[in-house]
Amino acid sequence: MAQPQSGSISPLTSALAAAGAGAAVIGALAASGRLEIGPALGGALLVMGLGWLVGQRADAARALPAPAVEAEPGRSAPPPYASLVNALPDPVLVIAAHEPDDLAGRRFVLVNDAAREFLRIQNDAGLLVTVIRDPEVLEAVDIALFGGRSAEAVYEMGGSQDRVWRASAKPLDAAPNGDRRALLVLRDETDIRRAERTRADFLANASHELRTPLASLSGFIETLRGHARTDEKARDKFLAIMQAQAERMSRLIDDLLSLSRIELNEHIAPQGEVDLALAVMDVVDSLGPLAADKGVRLEADLPAAGTAISVGDRDQIVQVIQNLIDNGLKYSPSGGAVRIVLESGLTAEAAVASRNPLASRMSLLTPDHGHDLYGVIRVSDSGPGLAREHLPRLTERFYRVEGQKSGDRSGTGLGLAIVKHIMNRHRGGLAIESQEGAGATFTAYFPLISAVQATPRAAAPIVVTKVS
Amino acid sequence: MNEHIVKSYEDELNTLTAECARMGGLTEAAVADSLEAVIKRDKSLAESVVDRDERLDVLQADIERKSIRLIALRQPMANDLRRTVAAMKIATNLERCGDLAKNIAKRTLILADAEPMAPLTRSIERMGRLVCGRLKDVLDAYTSSDVDRAILVWSRDDEVDEHYNSLFRELLTYMMGDPRTITACAHLLFVAKNLERIGDHATNIAEIIHYEITGEEMISAERPKTDALRG
Repeated sequence: MAQPQSGSISPLTSALAAAGAGAAVIGALAASGRLEIGPALGGALLVMGLGWLVGQRADAARALPAPAVEAEPGRSAPPPYASLVNALPDPVLVIAAHEPDDLAGRRFVLVNDAAREFLRIQNDAGLLVTVIRDPEVLEAVDIALFGGRSAEAVYEMGGSQDRVWRASAKPLDAAPNGDRRALLVLRDETDIRRAERTRADFLANASHELRTPLASLSGFIETLRGHARTDEKARDKFLAIMQAQAERMSRLIDDLLSLSRIELNEHIAPQGEVDLALAVMDVVDSLGPLAADKGVRLEADLPAAGTAISVGDRDQIVQVIQNLIDNGLKYSPSGGAVRIVLESGLTAEAAVASRNPLASRMSLLTPDHGHDLYGVIRVSDSGPGLAREHLPRLTERFYRVEGQKSGDRSGTGLGLAIVKHIMNRHRGGLAIESQEGAGATFTAYFPLISAVQATPRAAAPIVVTKVS
Repeated sequence: MNEHIVKSYEDELNTLTAECARMGGLTEAAVADSLEAVIKRDKSLAESVVDRDERLDVLQADIERKSIRLIALRQPMANDLRRTVAAMKIATNLERCGDLAKNIAKRTLILADAEPMAPLTRSIERMGRLVCGRLKDVLDAYTSSDVDRAILVWSRDDEVDEHYNSLFRELLTYMMGDPRTITACAHLLFVAKNLERIGDHATNIAEIIHYEITGEEMISAERPKTDALRG
């Protein structure tokens, strides 16, 4: 590793350069799999590497009088460790500033790929406040820039993904033109926070919901040990109720567990490709017997397989479809029908567009960035429909519409909450349209993998009608 | 401020945008903190929101002064003029949002002494998160000069209104059920109304951004609207 003009390098810079060389060696070892790098060492490496990089850049600026290097640091010839900084998984920014009063003077002069992605930065350099405006983070940066100390802040990035970052600002040595510089590193702490919150929620809700069947179970046990001990008829009846209650508890626990599992992975985009038409077909087939028992028709209107492929986790997409159809079956009277329609290649606006001018419509989840095209699954039931005031609360856990019979109340109150969380993970959307007395339509839309430009329902459409 | 430094015209414009963005960050934090104070019944957080409001007032006055100065001295035209006027108007809207957040925080001080009302607080939380998200989106649209994003915020005001209507009914039910909750419910009703108005300010800012970038006004008749007083 050549050290250009070592005579002109400040002692700090050369120390950092040496550290950078060390970091490179460790990095190479790690790459070949011979050395494990823990998070703490990784962080130290990062600071050393960047210190070296910035130091090198300062030297380059001193050596070359060309002002272009100074004005456009991102555009100069890539320094040897640019790829290292770019490869780091955490967002990293180098910030430069002239003086504390000048807000427009605080600029980011170097960002890595992770920072570009998470902060949606398009330029190599620009105003800091246009990419991060959280007052606590800006304050931490100011402390590092002008106080010369390291500082930390929690950075909550709102939006539906709701990520939480820990922002650490560390002072760097000054630029050759006298600008102060600081390093800002963001570390994702969403998982830790989410785990904490999930635990708290689980305890609060689950204990309440589990208590009801448990109370009934212990009540019947008491009766069976007491005066119903010899009454054979009563015993059979009670045991049947007890079994139903125990099953209800087990369903509840299953739902709670799957909900918390989905929540933990919610901000991790799913992998894999799923053919929505085939997924709907599978669910319709598996729910056929249940529908036949209830005397409800299942009508599916699907495009040909292969026209609606979405990025996603197949099990979860199946769960969405299943929960929606299950819900429709629950509220449809005997002799009614649940209709499932899949349309491919619609925009987000077209997906949630009103179908019935008399119905109330509400978007329960809207995707963050407008993806181009969506595969839209609509499930309509012939039930009593829902009043407008219930719509915003439908995806809330354990929310039940008062005064509405949900058959044998076999639901856990978690079905739609699960649907919403899965849709959020898939960067999709969920909407409901309902008219009191005329049924409800749930619309779930998934981003399509590639724009299938074929007109919706090209080729031979599959129309499945299951009559019980 | 460093009046002795002769800044270029572009720098002055950039400073205005930067100060608006910073003010936006402070407003977002005030709204989010006031919401958290309501949810967690946290008096000290509520007090800090009340104290911080003064800073927003000072910033708004400062942006206004700088904008007027820039108009007077530089006589900006077309795009530059719209940028300057937009900064001034956005600052006014943000300052109002800050006042509403302060009002929420003040009500929290009273609510924290009353009995906790868990289901209602959850409804407030959901509505508040939605409003915070809209404020964030619109400010993101401003800093990245993204008209499409601004239009998206602008066209989605009805979600907030739906939440407000739903909460309104819920609060009425509680008040009719138990008159002892009326004081707390009345305060929560104002909290919801304040949140709804912060949402309206976000819509206003979206309109200003649209005007700043395209030079054309948005037609408010095209916006989907739900009548808040229906039912």
